[in-house]
Amino acid sequence: MKPVIVIVLAVAVAAGAAVFLSRQPDRPSETNAAPLTADIKSGGHFRGPENAQVTLVEFGDYQCPSCGAYHPFVKEILNRYPQQVRLEFHHFPLISIHPNSMAASKAAEAAGEQGHYWEMHDALFEYQTQWSDKPDPKPVFAAIANRIGINGTILVQTMDSPRFQERILKDVEQGDRAKIQAVPTFFINGQQVHILLSMEDFVRVIEANLHK
Amino acid sequence: MKLRPMLIALLAFIGMIDALYLSIKRNSGPIPCHITRGCTDVLTSKYSEVAGVPLSWFGLAFYVTVFSLAVFTIFEEPGRPASPAKSAVSVIFYLSGAGLIISALLVGIQAFILKAYCEYCLLSAALVLSIFLLSPHPVRHTHPE
Repeated sequence: MKPVIVIVLAVAVAAGAAVFLSRQPDRPSETNAAPLTADIKSGGHFRGPENAQVTLVEFGDYQCPSCGAYHPFVKEILNRYPQQVRLEFHHFPLISIHPNSMAASKAAEAAGEQGHYWEMHDALFEYQTQWSDKPDPKPVFAAIANRIGINGTILVQTMDSPRFQERILKDVEQGDRAKIQAVPTFFINGQQVHILLSMEDFVRVIEANLHK
Repeated sequence: MKLRPMLIALLAFIGMIDALYLSIKRNSGPIPCHITRGCTDVLTSKYSEVAGVPLSWFGLAFYVTVFSLAVFTIFEEPGRPASPAKSAVSVIFYLSGAGLIISALLVGIQAFILKAYCEYCLLSAALVLSIFLLSPHPVRHTHPE
């Protein structure tokens, strides 16, 4: 009987330890970025009122699963605080581990040229699993574009334009200057904010900055 | 002193915490890396589950089994012939051998396909390797009664 008691106790202790560790706040050293300087605060794509009290700056990668996981929360924040929060998105494709991320950023830019950047931005995250592992994601980008009501053929034909790459690389350069090493990285008022993947934490951070 | 089964039990206990932690964190957002980069990429990749079951659950089952077998070996009465503990030693050896092959495959996927490393998965691979090295070879350690 003794061994069974030891096993049951050990499993219970291991479960307790795992729950305890999983509830510790995540403060990974790899996401410590430098404060944003004035020149980095410009650029990017904006969503929300210009005079919003809080500008949430996101450096993201369309192929990054974490960015995809955070995306619904960012959208919900913009829905909950339509007058108070503005999103500023910067491309930061980690091409060494996400080979389709640059192409996705270009697709978003190409959609932007047709006046639908944010629709494509949302769709790229929402349908991330459909294109992220494809050797050639362009047909999926075209299909996504058609689904959101823009011309997929034109999007694919124009997405390799050097001006899109130039814009994306400008964002990457800004991210490098901010010493960003992981995505998504968020900033509010120039300072990096660590937000857990929960609506409660997002609301907590936004509310704290609204009442500053 | 039954040092080997005690060490195996200790390693399996650490493995249980590791696997349980990953099982919990996998469903609650990005998994923070402190040493490597790309924990979330690894743990949300298509290689992180089999038929919809996260690999960490298989890992948990492995560690609980190894821990249980090691505990039974520790509590074995000395000199008792044909005890279940003797076969337990064989099971740990073959189980950890299979685990080692799977771990090597998963480390290979991290290195060559995902090009991202998850420190918790690497810890698990190291634990499996240590358990395999500590588990006595059943043929070498079987003496005629």
